[in-house]
Amino acid sequence: MNGRPAPLACVGEVIANGLVSSAFHRLDIALDRVFTFQPGQFVMINEPGPLAWTFSRPFSVLAADDRIVSILYRVVGRGTQAMAGLAPGRPVSVLGPLGEPFPAPVDGQTTVLLGGGVGLPPVYAWWQRWGLDGDVACFGARDGGEVPWGLLGGPWRISVDSPGCVPAGRQATTGVVTSLVDRDDALRGGERTVLLACGPQPLLRAAADLARRRGWRCLVSLEEHMGCGYGVCKGCVVRVADGDTVRNATCCHDGPVFDAARLPDLAAEAGGADAGGAKA
Amino acid sequence: MNRPAWWRLEANEPFRLGPRMLPGRVWTASGCFGYGLQAHEFTTANGASPYAGLGAVVTKTVTPLPREGNPMPRLVETACGALNSIGLENVGFAAFLETVLPELEARGVPTIVSLAATTPEDFGPMARRLHERAAGFAHWHGVELNLSCPNVAEGGHDFGSSPATVARCVAAARAELPDRALLAKLTPNTADIAQLAASAREAGVDAVSAINTVVGLDVDLRTGQPYLPRRFGGYSGAAILPIALAKVDQIARGAGVPVVGVGGIATVEDALKFFALGAVAVQVGTAQMRDPFAAARIAAALGQWSSS
Ligand SMILES: Cc1cc2nc3c(=O)[nH]c(=O)nc-3n(C[C@H](O)[C@H](O)[C@H](O)COP(=O)(O)OP(=O)(O)OC[C@H]3O[C@@H](n4cnc5c(N)ncnc54)[C@H](O)[C@@H]3O)c2cc1C
Ligand SMILES: Cc1cc2nc3c(=O)[nH]c(=O)nc-3n(C[C@H](O)[C@H](O)[C@H](O)COP(=O)(O)O)c2cc1C
Ligand code: FES
Repeated sequence: MNGRPAPLACVGEVIANGLVSSAFHRLDIALDRVFTFQPGQFVMINEPGPLAWTFSRPFSVLAADDRIVSILYRVVGRGTQAMAGLAPGRPVSVLGPLGEPFPAPVDGQTTVLLGGGVGLPPVYAWWQRWGLDGDVACFGARDGGEVPWGLLGGPWRISVDSPGCVPAGRQATTGVVTSLVDRDDALRGGERTVLLACGPQPLLRAAADLARRRGWRCLVSLEEHMGCGYGVCKGCVVRVADGDTVRNATCCHDGPVFDAARLPDLAAEAGGADAGGAKA
Repeated sequence: MNRPAWWRLEANEPFRLGPRMLPGRVWTASGCFGYGLQAHEFTTANGASPYAGLGAVVTKTVTPLPREGNPMPRLVETACGALNSIGLENVGFAAFLETVLPELEARGVPTIVSLAATTPEDFGPMARRLHERAAGFAHWHGVELNLSCPNVAEGGHDFGSSPATVARCVAAARAELPDRALLAKLTPNTADIAQLAASAREAGVDAVSAINTVVGLDVDLRTGQPYLPRRFGGYSGAAILPIALAKVDQIARGAGVPVVGVGGIATVEDALKFFALGAVAVQVGTAQMRDPFAAARIAAALGQWSSS
C-alpha cells in the first residue's frame, strides 16, 4: 500500500469525450495538477456541485499524460449515460488515483495480460508502462466493432465472440480470450510467468483456471459496487482468504487487484471450459 | 451564500456539550467516514486536510464483538439518495479500543465513538473500558449510542424505538462516562421521536443526534426482487433532508435536549437549515462518501462567518 501515488480530489475539465469503438467511449479530463497513477488504479468520477450523483462512479485509469487523465467506459446506466453527454469544457470531479495497482514486473518475469470488454484499461495501462517483447497482451470483445483498434497496436492478440467488422490488415480470433494464450506453447512451463486479468467474472475464472493449470501467478482486478471508493463505507467488500480464514476486504482500498489464489469465488471448480467470453 | 442575518454561532469555536468542550459544530456522521483514519491520504496532494475544522469525526459504529456485516450488494443508489445495508461491519470494540482510538488520538482527530449493542446493559462495560483506557486522551470527546441501525435484526426487535429501552441504554453508559459528552442517535422510523429524545434526556444524555437512516426498499426490475439481499436498507442522502429537518424540529421544540442534525447535508445551505431550527451541531454522512472534503468545506464556510 505504501508507494501508491497520493490521490487528488479535484474538479477537472472535459477536453475530449467520444466513441473509440462501437461500444467504448474515451473521456480525457484536464486537471489543475499533474496526475500520476499505477496501472490498475482507478478514479471516482462525478458531476461537481448540485448535479452530483449520490455516489461517484469508479473507472480504471486508461492513461495519464501530465495533467490529463483518461478513462474508457461503456454506457450501462444513468451515470455513464450522463457521462456520454459531457461536452468539452464541462467540469468533472475526479477523486484518485485510488486502490491497489497491478504490481510492476520483476526481472525475468514474463507477463500475460488478459483484458475483456471494459476490463481493458488496467491491462492496457500496464502494457503501455512496462510491456516488453516477451510479454503477451490479449483483449477479448463481443465483436470486431467493439474493439478499440486504434488503441491496440500490432502486438495485441484479439479475440471476439463473433467477428463483426475487423479492419483490413488486423486479425481477430473467434473464441474466448483465454484461448489466445492457452494454445501458445511458447508460454508453457514458466513459473516466472504472471497473469494479469481484468474483465467480467467468467473471464477472471477462466484466467485463474489457466494460471492454476500452468503454475503461473495470477492477479485479477475485481469490480464491485462502490459507495466511496476510498475505504470508508464498507459498501464494496469481497471475500478474501487470509491463511485458513476467509474475511472481508474492501474492493476499493485493499483491491481492486487481488491474488486470484486468495479469492474463493475464483476457486478451482468454478472455471468451466467454455468460460472466458468478454461479456462485460 | 451570504451570511444570514440570524446567524449567531461560532462554528469553528469550541462549545460546551455536557461535561466536554467540543472543538466545532460540523462533524462527520458514523459509517460514512470509516474510523476517521482513511482520508489522511488526501492531505498530501491537495494541500488541505479533510479533517480541517471538523468538530468531530463520529467513528463507524463498533459492537462488543467484531461483525462481518451483511451480504453484498450493500448499496443501491436511488433518485436523490441511496439505500445501504452494510450490517454494521466493524472490527469489534476491543480492536477499536487498542488500535484505532490511540491512532486517532495520535493524529489529533477529534473523535466521538459510536457504539451499538444488542442489550442495553452491554453499553455500560464498553463505556467503562473507554473511560479506563482513554480518560487521558485529549481528542476523544464523547460517545454516540447508535440506538437506531435498521440493518441489524438481532434479537428480533428494534430497541431504538422504545422510550424505556432508550432510557436503559443511556443510563448504562452515563453511569460510566463522567467527563465525556454522551449522545444518543435516534431512529426516524418511529411515531414520536420527541418522546424518544425526552426519555434519553431524562436518562442523562447531553444531546441527541437525529436522524439515522430511513427504512427503505428498492426493487430490481430484472428479477422482480428487492435489490438488497436483506430486502430493506437505510435510506440516506439528499432525499431525507426534509425528513431530518422535521424530526430535528420536533425534538428541538418538544424535548428540551440539545440536538445534532444529521440527514441529507451536502452544502452549507443544508447545514444552515438545521442550525436555523436550533441544532447545536450537524453531521455530514452520505455526501462525505463522494467527497472526503465535504464536511471540511462546510466547516470552513461557516467558520468564515463566525470570525467576521
Ligand atoms: C474498480 C472498478 C473499475 C472500473 N473500471 C471501469 C472502466 O474502466 N470502464 C467502465 O466502463 N466501467 C468500469 N467499471 C464499472 C463502472 O463503474 C460501472 O459501469 C458504472 O459505475 C455504471 O454506472 P451507471 O450509473 O451507468 O450504471 P447504473 O447501473 O445505473 O449504476 C447504479 C449504481 O451501480 C453501480 N454500478 C453499476 N455497475 C457497476 C459495476 N459493473 N461495477 C461497480 N459498480 C457498478 C454504480 O456505480 C452506481 O452506484 C469499474 C468498476 C470498478 C469497481
Ligand atoms: C454507508 C452508510 C453506513 C452507515 N453506518 C452507520 C453506522 O455504522 N452507525 C450509525 O449510527 N449510522 C450509520 N449510518 C447513518 C449515517 O450516519 C446518517 O445518520 C444517515 O446516513 C443520514 O445522514 P446522511 O443523509 O448525511 O447520510 C450509515 C449511513 C450510510 C450511508
Ligand atoms: S466503496 Fe466504500 S469502502 Fe469501498
